[in-house]
Order: sequence, then C-alpha cells, then structure tokens
Amino acid sequence: MEEQRLSEFHHVVSQNRTLSSKALTIALSLITNPFTSHSTLSSLLDTLILCLQNPASNDTNHHHHVISLVSASFPPPPPTSAITFSLPSTADPFADENLFLSLCFGQSVISRRFLLRNVSKFCVKPSLLLTVLLGFTKDPYPNIREVALDGLVELSNCIVVEDQSLIEGCYFRAVELLFDCEDSVRRSAVCAVSEWGRLLVASNQDQSKKEWSDTVFVQLCSMVRDMDMKLRVVAFDALGKIRMVSEDILLQTLSKKALPATKEKTYCGQLTAKLLTLPASGAAFAFVHGLEDEFHEVRRSACRSLCMLTAVSAEFASEAVNILMDMLNDDSVVVRLQALETIHFMAISDHLKVEEAHLHMFLGTLLDRSDSIRSAARNTLQSIKLQNLAMFRLGIDALMKNLEFYPQDEADLFLVIFKLGRTHGKFVGSIIREVFQELEPSFEGKLAFDNARTVALLVLAISVPVSFERKICTVPPQTFSYAVTQLGRISRGLFDVVNQNTLLAYLSHCSRFSLVSASEFFKGEEPALQLDKSDVLLCQKSNDTSEAHLTSPLLDCLANLHDRVTSCVKIVLRKISDIWRLIELGCMGEVIQTLRSWKEELSKFTSDSPQTVGVLAFALQYIQVIKLLGKVWTRIFSSRNLRYHGMGVLEVLLGKIDKILQDMWYRFIGLSKDEELHLLEIMLLSCVLRLSYLETCNFEASLKKICTISFRVENLCKEEAIELSSFILDLQKLLCEIGNSGDGVFENIYLLQKSLKCFSLRQIVLSGEIKHLEAELNVRDNNFQNPLPFISGLPVGIPFEIMLYNLTSEKRLWLTMSVDGMSTQFVFLDLHEFEGCDEIRKFTFVAPFYGTPRVTYFSLKVCIAMECLSEDVQLFKDYEDPKPELSFLCKEIEVHLSTPVN
Amino acid sequence: MAIECLVLGAGQEVGKSCVVVTINDKKIMFDCGMHMGYLDHRRYPDFSLISKSGDFNNSLTCIVVTHFHLDHIGALPYFTEVCGYNGPIYMTYPTKALAPLMLEDYRKVMVDRRGEEEQFSYEQILECMKKVTAVDLKQTVQVDKDLQIRAYYAGHVLGAAMFYARVGDVAIVYTGDYNMTPDRHLGAAQIDKLQLDLVITESTYATTYRDSKYAREREFLKAVHKCVAGGGKVLIPTFALGRAQELCMLLDDYWERMNLKVPIYFSAGLTVQANMYYKMLINWTSQKVKDTYATRNAFDFKHVCSFDRSLINAPGPCVLFATPGMISGGFSLEVFKQWAPYEGNLVTLPGYCVAGTVGHRLMSAKTPAHINIDQDTQIDMRCQIHQLSFSPHTDAKGILDLVKFLSPKHVILVHGEKPKMATLKEKMQSEMGIQCFDPANNETVSIPSTHYVKAVASDALLQSSLSPNLKFLRKCSERGSDFGGLDARTKPRLKVFDDRMAEGILMVQRNQNIEAVHQNEVVAMLGLESHEIKFANCCPVYIANSETRNVVLSQSTVDKSFWLRLLFEKLSSKFPETSIQDCGERLQIESFSVSVCSKEICPHRTTANLQCMPETMYFCCTWSTADEKLAWEIISVIKSLSLRDK
Repeated sequence: MEEQRLSEFHHVVSQNRTLSSKALTIALSLITNPFTSHSTLSSLLDTLILCLQNPASNDTNHHHHVISLVSASFPPPPPTSAITFSLPSTADPFADENLFLSLCFGQSVISRRFLLRNVSKFCVKPSLLLTVLLGFTKDPYPNIREVALDGLVELSNCIVVEDQSLIEGCYFRAVELLFDCEDSVRRSAVCAVSEWGRLLVASNQDQSKKEWSDTVFVQLCSMVRDMDMKLRVVAFDALGKIRMVSEDILLQTLSKKALPATKEKTYCGQLTAKLLTLPASGAAFAFVHGLEDEFHEVRRSACRSLCMLTAVSAEFASEAVNILMDMLNDDSVVVRLQALETIHFMAISDHLKVEEAHLHMFLGTLLDRSDSIRSAARNTLQSIKLQNLAMFRLGIDALMKNLEFYPQDEADLFLVIFKLGRTHGKFVGSIIREVFQELEPSFEGKLAFDNARTVALLVLAISVPVSFERKICTVPPQTFSYAVTQLGRISRGLFDVVNQNTLLAYLSHCSRFSLVSASEFFKGEEPALQLDKSDVLLCQKSNDTSEAHLTSPLLDCLANLHDRVTSCVKIVLRKISDIWRLIELGCMGEVIQTLRSWKEELSKFTSDSPQTVGVLAFALQYIQVIKLLGKVWTRIFSSRNLRYHGMGVLEVLLGKIDKILQDMWYRFIGLSKDEELHLLEIMLLSCVLRLSYLETCNFEASLKKICTISFRVENLCKEEAIELSSFILDLQKLLCEIGNSGDGVFENIYLLQKSLKCFSLRQIVLSGEIKHLEAELNVRDNNFQNPLPFISGLPVGIPFEIMLYNLTSEKRLWLTMSVDGMSTQFVFLDLHEFEGCDEIRKFTFVAPFYGTPRVTYFSLKVCIAMECLSEDVQLFKDYEDPKPELSFLCKEIEVHLSTPVN
Repeated sequence: MAIECLVLGAGQEVGKSCVVVTINDKKIMFDCGMHMGYLDHRRYPDFSLISKSGDFNNSLTCIVVTHFHLDHIGALPYFTEVCGYNGPIYMTYPTKALAPLMLEDYRKVMVDRRGEEEQFSYEQILECMKKVTAVDLKQTVQVDKDLQIRAYYAGHVLGAAMFYARVGDVAIVYTGDYNMTPDRHLGAAQIDKLQLDLVITESTYATTYRDSKYAREREFLKAVHKCVAGGGKVLIPTFALGRAQELCMLLDDYWERMNLKVPIYFSAGLTVQANMYYKMLINWTSQKVKDTYATRNAFDFKHVCSFDRSLINAPGPCVLFATPGMISGGFSLEVFKQWAPYEGNLVTLPGYCVAGTVGHRLMSAKTPAHINIDQDTQIDMRCQIHQLSFSPHTDAKGILDLVKFLSPKHVILVHGEKPKMATLKEKMQSEMGIQCFDPANNETVSIPSTHYVKAVASDALLQSSLSPNLKFLRKCSERGSDFGGLDARTKPRLKVFDDRMAEGILMVQRNQNIEAVHQNEVVAMLGLESHEIKFANCCPVYIANSETRNVVLSQSTVDKSFWLRLLFEKLSSKFPETSIQDCGERLQIESFSVSVCSKEICPHRTTANLQCMPETMYFCCTWSTADEKLAWEIISVIKSLSLRDK
C-alpha cells in the first residue's frame, strides 16, 4: 500500500514537475501515517526538495505547502540530516535568500518555524539572518520567538558583529524575553542573554567591559528563581560561563540580605517585565537558592558553576566553601560528587581554606557508601592543605576509618596517605611518634604487620623523607625496614608514584641509617648521590599529572646505586634474625605469613645475572629452612602433648630441614666462612633437635653425626679466627662432657635439650658471590601424546638436552632414571667429555636405559643428581654407582616411551 | 469593575485565615480557619459580615481550603454544620484525607482535656467532609459558568496548595501557606506564570531572611550523631505530620550513608497513620521522593524499627520520635521524664513552643536544671538540648521572589504580624512598584480589575497580522558608545518593532460592535481622504565663480544632473552610513528628496523674496515628518556648499 502510494506520488510529480493538490494529498497521507517506513519518507523528501529547487515553480504559495510538508515529516527521526537545504536555482546566488525571506515573511507559521529552526542549512548572509532573527523575537507566536532566540544563540557563535548597537539590540531584546509568559521562550532567552552578553562584554574595553560583565551576571542571577526547572539549570550553566565578575556581586550571591557594597548599585537591565533597572541586589542568594533546589539537576549545575567562579575570587571561594561542605550531605550522589569536584578544584586553584568545622562534614564523605564518592573525597583530601596538627590527625583518623570499613579501598588509600604525608611532613613526624608502638613488633601481643592500619601508618611514615618539610621530620629508620616487609602491599598502592623496585631501594636506603633521620642523611652520606635540595624537592605543589614522576628521580638514583636484588635479599636476611624472637614466642602464624610474603617478594625478581640467581636461590632456601625450623620449634616448645602427638610431623619436618640444609651445603659454592659457619650451626641445631626429641633411642649414631659437624666447625675455626656463638660453644663443651662422663643417655639428652635454650638465630650476612649449582634437563618433543619409541626388553637410548650451571668438571653428576620409583638406573655424566665452561655447559647426551619393562607404554622419571662429596670423604673414581648421599640439581622430568604401533 | 477583598481573619495577625473575595458577583471564601489563641467568639471569623441574614448558601459561591492546618480549616465544620453553609467546598485530596484527623484530634483535646463545651461533634466533621470536592494539582475546576479555580503546589505541608481563581478576565491567586525552598520530604512551591490582577499572600516571616537550610540540617545531624556515638538516646518530640517525616528522612538518609546501625523508633499513634498517608500521596512530596519511588518508597524508612514501651529503658543508643511536639503531655513527656536525667541523652525542641508547655520551659533552661513538670514532679534534667529551627513557611526573600515571578498588579498581605507586614509592603511597593495592601481583620480592600472588551477584527487586519511586519528603530548615537553614557535608564539604541498589530485601529461606533480594522480600511470606512504632511524647503547655494554660473545658467537643462552629482558626492562623504539614491532628476534619502529648482519663483524659499537671486543655485527639498531630523542635517550640509568647482 505504502509503495503503491509512493509510486503514485512520483508519477503525479513527474508529470508536471510541480506539486498538484493530488500529489500533496498523497504526500501528506504518507507523512502523517506513523507506520510509513524511513525509506519511503526519505524518498518522499528527496522528491519534495527537488520540487522546491524547480525553477519553474516560483510560486511562494507552492513552496509553503512543500515546506510545511517537509517540516511535518520532521518530528519522527527521519534521515533528513543527509539533506542539505540548498534550495537555490543555479543562476542567482540571491535566490536562496529571496526564497528564504519570502517564506519567512509568509503567513504560514509552520514554515516560518521550520525555516528558523533550520537556519544554518540555508545559505543566507549572516547580517541578513541576524536582522531576520532579531525581528522574529517580536513574533506573537511563542514558538517563533523561541526558535528565533535559538537561532541568535547559534549565530552568536559563528559571526563577528562589529556594530555595538546591534549587539546591544540583540542582548536587550533577549533580556526582555526573559520575562516572557512561555517557559520555553524564557529558557531560550537565558541562553541568548548569556551568549550575546558574552559578545557584548567582548566588544567593550576595560572598565566598561567589567561593568557589562557584572550586568550580564546579575541579569542571569535574576532568573535563578524561575519556576521552570530546566530554565534554572540553563541559568546556572550560563552563570558558570562568565569569567569576570566583581567580588562584591559574587559575595552577594551567597548572602540573602543586600550587602552594603551592592546596595546602591544598579545596572542596565530588567528586574521584571516592567522594572527596567536592575539592582545589584538582584543577585542575592542566587547560588544558595540553586544549591538548595529541589531538583538535583539544578543543584548540580549550581555546584558546577560555583566551581568555575571560585577561581575568580578567593574571598568568594572561602565563603562558598561553607555551603559547599553542606552539599556533601546532599541525598543525590551526583550532587555530592560535583561538590567534591568543586572543592577539589578550589583546592588546586589554591582558593580553599579549610577550617576544622568544615572537616567534620567533609571527612564524613570518606565513609560514604558510594565508591565514587569515597574516591573523589580522597582525591580531594590529598590536595587540601590542613592547617594544624589536630586537623591533620582528624584527616588521618578518617582515612583509617575508611580503611577499616571499606578494605577494598586500600590501594587508593595508601596513595592518598602517602601524598598527604608528603605535603604535611612535620605533622607526620609527631603522629608517627605517637603511634610508634603500634608499628614496633611487640613481644607481648601479636605482630600486627598484616594489619591494614599498621601498613597505612607505615605508608604515612615513609612519605616523610620526600615531603617538603624534610628537615624537621624525624621518623625512626626502623619504620622503613618494617615497611619493607609490606613492600608488595604498599607498592600496589603507590603504583602511580613509584614502582616496586624503586620503592624497595628507597626503603632500604632510608632504613640503613639509625639515629640520623633518613632525610638528613640524603645530603651527606654518599657523594655519588649528589642530592642537593633541587633534587630532593621533587614535589612541587601537587599537580596530578606531574606527580607521577615526582619521586622517581630520587628513587631511580637510589636504585642505580645498589643492586636491587642483593639489597633486597640483604634486607630480608637481616630481618629474619628478628623473626626468630617471634618464633621463640610461638607466634608462628605471623611468622609464616611474613616469611611467605618475603618469599613472594623475592620470587618476583627475575633472574638476570648469575650472581643474583645464586643469592636469590640461597635466600629462598634459607627462608624455607627458617620456616621449617620455626614450625619444629613451636611444635616442641609450645605444645604440651608433644609426646603423644605430632612425632610423625616432627620427623617429616626435620627430614625436610636436613634435606634443604644438605642441598644448601653442597649446591652453593662461594660461600664465605661466616656463611658456612651459619649453615653448620643450623645443621647442628637440627641434629640436636632430632637427637633430643626424636631419636633418643638412636643416641649414639645421632651423636656421632653431631660430632662430625662439630668437627667441621672446628676445622673452619682453625683456618680463621671466627667468633663462635654461645650455642656452639656450649655444645662443644657438652660434647666433651658426654664423651668423658659415663652418665646415662637421659641425662645427656636433658643436657642437650638445655643447650637448645642458648640458641638464637644470628644474622646472616651474604658476601655476595654465591653461585648456585643447577641443572636443566629436557627431552625434546616428548610428551604423553608424543612418546619415544622403544621395544620392550631391549635397551633404549634417550636424547637428553642438558644445561649445567656453575658445575665444575670435578663434580660427579649422575642421571637417575627410574620406572615407577622402583628400580633406579644411574648413568654417570663425565663432565670432562662435554664442552662449555664451568659457568654454563650445554650439551645433548644420549643416555641408555636398559631395564625397559614388558609393557607397551611406560614413563621414566629422570633427574640429575650430584654426589655430595665432603672433605672428609675419600675421593675415588667410580662409574658404577654413586655415593649414597645425592643432591638433586633439577626438577624431575618425565620421559614417555611406548612401543611403536606396526 | 473591582475586586472586593473582605479579610475576615489573619488580617495583620496569624490565625483563623479567612478571606472572602468578590469578583463580578462571585464570592469565594479562601480558607476557613480558627484562632488557637482565643476561646471566645474571636476564635472564629465573623461570618455575619458575609451575609447579615445568614443566608450563606446564596451569598457565597464556594469555599476553597488550602491545607489542613487548623488555622486554615478549623472553622469549617462550624461554618457548614452550625452556620448551615451547604455550597461547594474545594480542597486537595490529601487535605480532604487528613483534615478529619486533625479536626477530630483538636475536638478531642478541647472536649476531653479542657472539658470545654464542644463546638461540633465527630459526626458533624464527617458530615462536613462529605460536602467537600477534592481537586488535584493543576486541575482546572469549573465551579460555575464564570468561575474557574486551579490548585498549584505550595510545599508547606502535605497537600498544601495555592489557588488560582478566575472570573471572566479577572484572575487572582490566593497562596495560603507556602514554602519556596524544598525540604527533605516536600518540594518547593510551584506555579505557572500567570496574568494576575491580585495575589493574596501569607507573610508569616515578612522580615525574616533565613539562612541556608543546610546549616540547620548539619547542626541537627551533628548533634544527633554525637549523641548516639556516645551511646546516648535521642528524643525528638514532633508534631505527627510534616516535621516528623522530614527529620526522619534526614536521619534515615544519614544513617544509610554513614552506615549507622543505631535504631530509630517512631512512637505509635498518629505518626504511623500519617506515614501511611505520606506513602500513598507520593505525588505530593518532593522530587527526591518521587525519583526514588520506583525503587523504594522513601517513607519506608530503612532504619526505623518497631517500637514498644519496653524499649524505653533498653540499654544502648537509639533515636525516638514521639508526639506531641511541645512535650505538653502524652508519650513524649513520659519518655522525657525517663531520659532527661542522663547527661549522654539529647532532646530536640521544635522551633516554636507555646508558653506553658514543658518544651517552652526547656527552651530557656540551661542544663543541668530542675524542671517542674507539674506541681508534684520535678526533674533533675542533665541531658543535652538542641533547638530545631526548621520552618515550613517561606521567608521574606521567598515572598518577594514569588511576587516578582508572578508580577501581579496588586498584592494583599495576610497571615503575618502588623509591623512586619508594613515593612514588607513598603519594600514591595518601592522595589517592585506593585501596589500592596495589608488590611486588618474585617476590613475590605477594593482593587480595580482588568476588563477586556471584545472586538471584531476585520479581515484585512487579520490578513495583515498574519505576515510579520518588522521595523527596526535605531536611535541616532548622540553619545559615544562607552558604558558611562549608557546609564541604567537609557534604552538600547536599536529597537525592534513588529507593527502588524499597531496597524490596527479600534472603531467604536454607536449601536455597533466594537471593531478593530486595518488602518488602510479606515479611510474608506469613514469616507474620508487621507492626507500626508510634507515639509519643503528650497535651499539657496551661492555660486562663487560667476563664469561658471553664466555657463551653467545658459545651459540649465543639461547641467541639472551635474549639480546633483556634485551634491551626491558631498552627501555620500558626509553620511557614509545612509543610502542615497540617485534618481536622475532628484536625490532620495529615506523620505527626503532633493532636486535642482529652476523655477523663478518658488513658494518654499525662505529668503526675503521668493524671487530667484542672481549667482545662486536652488535646491528644492521635501520630506515627511519621520525624517525631520535627518532632513535638517542634510540641508545644513547643502547650505554649507559653495559651488566654486570648475
């Protein structure tokens, strides 16, 4: 039906190239039918436009019909945006204008409205257009007045008007229409007043410019009490656009009573439809009205323009802050958010002066339910300057509360605390002093390192050295080392400011200096640092964009000075001796958590140089040993029913310890005497533990082992004068006594148990050059789905790709191959046969496996093991079987073999 | 034609609002309240002034009640049931729903507590309510053929409305009590821009300028939060309707935001019932309530828990809303007795307490103090006191803003105190130029009203008024374009006119309809000729060079155009902005036209004799009145020409 009508229309039109009444009827019927498709409509429109362009039809009446048809088809969203209304016939450039004018001044209101609405689509001279639009603001039809004003607004943006009186004319005409009866006209008039007011201000100079700007401002203020909500929004938006307003007028907008400064002033404008003078007091309370409005749209708009205007006057800003703080109590989230943004803006434009009374309301937003509000509040807080310690404390307390109620904000909070601390360095010092006990690992209660509050306080503390008031601050340096224990957590928060490695370097640097404050130290300590004031005063007044890079130069500098990994390991190892006390107290939960976090930190480092690989591996294993020891210790000394429970567990633990210690002893080379002694001491401890609590029945054999180790210790001491720990001395004495006396086993065990009391973990200091013996083993292209072929019963050769690190050719390596963990076959790897240096050796080795089982498929577990050759064991070459003590150098791999099918 | 306003109550006082407005024989009574301060005949408006005979049904067209407060509705049952008024009564739906509650409550208090003789019975209240027609917001009600009324939202209390009434061409607005700033549960007053002859507005706070509501809210929340954080109990004595909901909403919101878990209780009674009405009448509440209505009814308070008496002495902090507001007895007094002796507790007081109530005594007391509840009981009061300053009335700025927005021709102030009203009246007249009255009770104010006369428009006028007819008038710039010159009273230099209406002429002929015709028609209609006034001046210019003159004069016909061209150049340089048309024989500038006069005797010459002077050229000028100023400027230019060229 639709298509039928359309084709009929086209037919009629094509006959005489103009629209007959019949064609018009058809077109109208199509347009008014709401079910007409877009394609039909656009086709129809195209034809209509063609008719308009037809030079033959110069009858305006005819055009009116067409235009009203076109405009009638506008309300539904038609594809008209594609249509350009270039109506002119080709010859005469003024034809467009003439047609436009004749249509405008015709009798049809619809087409007039349509033309004015789409004014930008016609090529009409701006000067002419301006006159026409200005004229039509007098039209008796409100919708024409409205579109004329809209047109003027549009025009004001794209033309330059030099005639002052013309601008004035437009402006005052718009002012008149501010008091129109129609809401929509008033709304458009507000826009027009705003825009033409802007032109008016721009066309004046100096003093009169200022006067005009005030005039426009007050004029717009008179509209904020209109009953139309949208109008109020527009009015406030317009107010926010004004860039120049006298301070007394701005202040008037916050006061209901006429201020003395504005009492007598009048401007050129209209207060009501009849009153043709505009008193300055017309601006009274404008902003407060807006902020109190019933509609959140208006409140938000008012808040936003307030934001813009606070930049104009500091005094206004300080007044406005009172009511803005109240806006934080608004029930609408968008308004609260805007209020926070406004406060933030004021803070960064340095027009914010927060008093203690405000802070209560402001800090309340940190506990807001909405995430975005809390985030905005924190964002604002970090740029606020808090006047005194009490206020700063309030702020920190509120942040802590935020952390307590909404732990999910942690990362962001840390950043804010850090920044806040940096800008308020001198307050941080006194706060940290107060809460220092909380930070110290306490021995009565539990260590609270994992407590979010503690971490937050640590963050606060570590912000001091980079603060502006560095000189005054005093934060105990151990705080920095405590902070290291929470490195991951903290660095997640401070991600924007500094990366983890740099942070670590920074912390370890600061923590090194006792007594002297870290900040003081930056200057004197290392000449290489060359940190004079200009370097350290990195943080210029907070400006978010630059802030990201602020601290980095300093910290990067630190990072370059130290090998990051080694320093990190050193810090961790140093801390471990502190941990021992906790173990003694039985706080195993905390210890395990702390150790685990350290391990995580360390394992994040990627191994880039052979030295660091060794150090890292050593540290990791060391931590593991301490952890296991701690578990044993608490099991023995804290649980009362040890005799009946947990012996099995104890055995497993001690077994693990022995294994790791042995590994450490044999697989690390380049250990210093100190380090060796340390390891031996732990070995002794482990043995004594085993002897006195586990293997009491096997006393003699165990004692022998202790003696062996003790002998090693003595050997070490012979070469160099090393101070032995009280535990070793005590033990040596004891061993002599046991050897000499004929006391019973139980007395001896008691004595040994007593000697354990002397043990305390010493700090291990790494000399640095530790190498880790390691191997990598791989069989190429072998997996479950892609097995190697074999024939059962016959030997099979397996091609291994082997990488060896730090293994000298003297080391005796074996390939251990086992099926189902039952029978193990050893193949000797003679390192002399393979190329490569000691540091790294890479080769392929085809190892024969003899005992292939009688199955179609089996898997072989292969590993590289090293004979543990201690000095006291006689060396002899043997390619048959390895010595019983083996240390595995790599992870066990699985080799899949299967008989080939056919 | 005039509007008669008879103020029966609330004239220069607060209480028994009642204004009877007469427009074109229609008598409308706005509000029918009682005065709470009197117990004698002064309690009710003097209805006898409406009709001596007491035949109110014939003398009154209708009664319009704005809201359910007793000083606006208290006398209604008396008027209908005792005085016998049977005509139509209009009020909004919520008012109709809540009014019986208020009236019955009042009746009970009067009869039961004070043992007074009852003015009307409960049955009479119900009977009265049956006569009421409920209206909705912005619903236009045609009371009779001529009278229209329409309700607009007024804020103040639930269901409060301003009423617009129109009889023929006369339109007035009676505001009742209203609030121009929204609170948590009710919106701000909202009205259309209307053409009004009269606005009758309340003026309770005629001289008060209230500060931002946020400060009040903040103080309140701070006090309450501090109290409950310290483990104290908060007693909020309130009136059942309005304030309780507002405060509770404020608290509920705050609780929600701050994640507080302290219980809030509502004591039973009227409040619960009132809450139910609030929930039902959501359309009458604030925008915020309406916005959230889809997800949650804001009056379903999240943190309000059910209350029973045993909880009064339960340990731990809580907030309790209890009636009555002024702690004059009842439940709030009971709780007060229990809680007052403890320092951690808090009691809030409403902004206004009647003398004689416990609340009134508390207002002046300083803690700790001994408060006498009655002769026998004395309380050692140690709790904190917080005074609320919430008010549902608009302040002076609000009144002025409303009047400014409506821009009526006249204003009558009622419902306020006399000296304050006088101040506001002065202000309104001086600042806005609106005539303002503040009549006392039983006074009548008469105001001239608009009266429109219908005229028939002629076809030609209609036709011409369809097409725009724009005119721009540019004032000649006498002053420079600096601001200093543009005094506040100067009109802009460029003005726009659309003359399509101005072309109409009103014809009032005897025994005929009044007719508006187009000016072109008038001449024909009246059978007259049209005349145009023109000015003319023949302006002499002395030719200095006689040789030229001779040549010129001898060949006069040839060189007329030469002189004109000369003049054209001169004028073009003098008046660069104006367009000058060269029409060959003459020059045309607007309506000014100039040509070379070759007549021997020209009547337009002003020189002693009209004869042609030797050695002189004559330019003959004509113009119409509109361009007189321009004309003289041009002539002065011509005169100053001295043709010595060539």
